[in-house]
Amino acid sequence: MTRPTPAELLDIARNTLLEQVLPELSGAARFKALMAANAMAIARRALLAPPVAALDDPALCAAIRGGAHDGDAALGAQLLAVAEAQCRISAPKAVE
Amino acid sequence: MDEVALTDWLRRATGWADLSLGPMALLSGGAIQQNWRLDAAAGGARHAWVLRTDAPASLAASRSRSEEFLLLQAAFQAGVTVPEPLYLCQDAGIIGAPFFIMRRVQGTAAGHRIVRSETPGGGRVALVEALGRELARIHAMRPTLPFLGEKPLDSGRKLIATLREALDSAHENRPILEWGLRFLERRNPGPGEIVMCHNDYRTGNYMVSDAGITGILDWEFAAWGDPHADIGWLLARCWRFGSPHEVGGVGPRAPFLAAYQAASGRRTDPARIAWWQIAAAIRWAVIAIAQAERHVSGQEPSLELALTGHIVPELELDIMRATT
Repeated sequence: MTRPTPAELLDIARNTLLEQVLPELSGAARFKALMAANAMAIARRALLAPPVAALDDPALCAAIRGGAHDGDAALGAQLLAVAEAQCRISAPKAVE
Repeated sequence: MDEVALTDWLRRATGWADLSLGPMALLSGGAIQQNWRLDAAAGGARHAWVLRTDAPASLAASRSRSEEFLLLQAAFQAGVTVPEPLYLCQDAGIIGAPFFIMRRVQGTAAGHRIVRSETPGGGRVALVEALGRELARIHAMRPTLPFLGEKPLDSGRKLIATLREALDSAHENRPILEWGLRFLERRNPGPGEIVMCHNDYRTGNYMVSDAGITGILDWEFAAWGDPHADIGWLLARCWRFGSPHEVGGVGPRAPFLAAYQAASGRRTDPARIAWWQIAAAIRWAVIAIAQAERHVSGQEPSLELALTGHIVPELELDIMRATT
């Protein structure tokens, strides 16, 4: 793969935004730059994260809704693990 | 914004032929609605107003501007602290969408700032007590507005059906939200008292100064429902803005509930509050998915809407922690 890697590019792009662009901004533009930095951080974590089974299967969704998994502690544990893995990408503070 | 057309319309609505407008500015907040700061001068007096109108794409679940105006009027008449509603324009031809004008109130609604400060509303305990009293006033409203429809027999059951319908029309399969909805279905406390609910009663949707609450905002989701629905929404972890304080990130639970009970005469049920807190996380997740979809579909490219989609995993974690 050509260096820098996609994650490395996002890293330097985000640092440049935060350290060299943000100090020049105020008000709504500053808020938007912070949102852009946040989006880059999420994308970078997603690139580096180990693959996770999202369990996003329509048949599973229908079975849960129909009551086929009531009290299914094993599925509960799996879904908790999915939520934690997705938070490590989207909201790492939630799983610290 | 066509300020000439707006000025003409306001001159007719107010009867002030010499009315003129200062520069307008878009206020922060509102993925569904836009709020514009409006300064008018007429007859030698200055008027501090807010113009509220639809954002370019609006969610079907939210009420029209005219319905929200009527709800705001009902709240104002019932003694809820709200910005006084002044003029409604249903003609989309004036500024491109229907709008209404309300009086501008002092203070801030910025959730992140409110939860990090000790002073808004006169301190954390005083603020949650005021939130309890305002909510009691909202729940005492008995508006006779036909668009509110019949009172549901079982508002928990109705919410589960509404959220499942929304998930079915979304483009994603979310087993965790299904898991949470099934959990709620099995533990539904069943029919109870039905009152006027605000349905978005949280930090970020009220204006507060150091003197107290200056206005309860955003009435677009108001409907008949279980009073515990508003309490569960305000107490839900997802509306604490990262703060440890249980009531909207601003203060403790006990004085909030005590003030609410004293003002409403209603005893709250901890089991129903817990049920509605889980319902709050699922409902916000479903709304967040719909907002992200507006970006993903290309209908309304927006960084803010795109990031809203990434709120969902944290809500799903709250749901799994509360149900396993």
